[in-house]
Amino acid sequence: MAYKRQFYPGTTSPAVARRRLMDPKVKLQKLREVPIEDVVKLMGHRNPGEDYKSIHPPIEEGSEPDCPIRKLVTPIDGAKHGDRIRYIQFTDSVYFAPVSPYQRAWMYLSRYRGIDTGTLSGRQIIEVRERDLEKMAKEFIENETFDAALTGIRGATVHGHACRLDENGLMFDAWQRYLWDPKRKEVKYVKDQVALPLDKEIFVGAPASMEDLKKRTTIFRADGVDMRDDKEVTKYQHRIHKLRTLGGYQPFKVKGV
Amino acid sequence: MSSNPPAEYAGVPLPEVRITTTRLLFAETTEKVLNGFEEIEHIRQVTMSGESLPRKINSGPNKGLDNNHTQRRTIKVGGKDVELTTLVGNFFIELDVEDDMVLDETVGKIKAVCDAHIEHGFNLEIGRYSKYRPTLTDYRGV
Repeated sequence: MAYKRQFYPGTTSPAVARRRLMDPKVKLQKLREVPIEDVVKLMGHRNPGEDYKSIHPPIEEGSEPDCPIRKLVTPIDGAKHGDRIRYIQFTDSVYFAPVSPYQRAWMYLSRYRGIDTGTLSGRQIIEVRERDLEKMAKEFIENETFDAALTGIRGATVHGHACRLDENGLMFDAWQRYLWDPKRKEVKYVKDQVALPLDKEIFVGAPASMEDLKKRTTIFRADGVDMRDDKEVTKYQHRIHKLRTLGGYQPFKVKGV
Repeated sequence: MSSNPPAEYAGVPLPEVRITTTRLLFAETTEKVLNGFEEIEHIRQVTMSGESLPRKINSGPNKGLDNNHTQRRTIKVGGKDVELTTLVGNFFIELDVEDDMVLDETVGKIKAVCDAHIEHGFNLEIGRYSKYRPTLTDYRGV
């Protein structure tokens, strides 16, 4: 019997949302339109229209060593051109952000090739070849995993994911990279991800309502959906905990769990 | 011979009101709340805490650049200039009261000020949350 890939257990809404984001067959919903020039400006790695800098000659030039693995793996577009590796980093608020850093890692690794991602308490960095990164960044700013108020694009000083929201409902940012625009009722970025002031304001749309976010989030919370209310998820967590406690790095040696 | 620490402590554990706001307050709201407290008798001192707003960008490739955070500014409290360096989320109000009746009355007035100006809600508790006499750390750098 062919193996059918499984993603996450559970029946509650965060469990279903986790499964959905991880499944590469599910097309994520696009919620807003941000031009690619603006995405490039927000990241601040190059100026829009500027050539991509390279760190090695294009693979097609044939200067690669004779290696069976290199022949086996199809390079991503940026690797073909020898692009630099650049990054984008998202911070997700604990106040029902659409996704949280750990699920971002699962989602990225499940959906993309040629990436390196790192999870920290409140932020998730993704490193990839520059031209591929720009496409991915645009996708992730425009789709349902991004919320204008509760997701931040922050390269450094990401502090804020576990802070209370401000009076406008925006996640705290010590560098105030984004502001609330009361006229348009949207959030606008005025600094790039490392706080360099932008030459124009970049609008990333209106924040979703808390009601909607509570339905969409992947976060289990005592004041939302409690993880203990999902029997299957709890069982799975207990099993991992037990295997890790009893077996350390050799969980397969623990019998009867 | 030792110098005195800069802070002035009551020396006795006077009651303290702790207000924790549901949302972090903008400078404008903090100014209104503090000016509301100015009118109330029996308040010995007000301490605020919250999330720090740096004056300069303090890390990354643009370290040293001005931060220009719109909420880091000087507010007027009782005619005096107060420089705000945080987005305020807690007030600790030390009360100079001797009996429960005055305490209740003062707390009622504090609550009324908060109700009038803090839109998104707050939590108010009475207890003792900070020290009331000098300790070794007060002498650091004296």
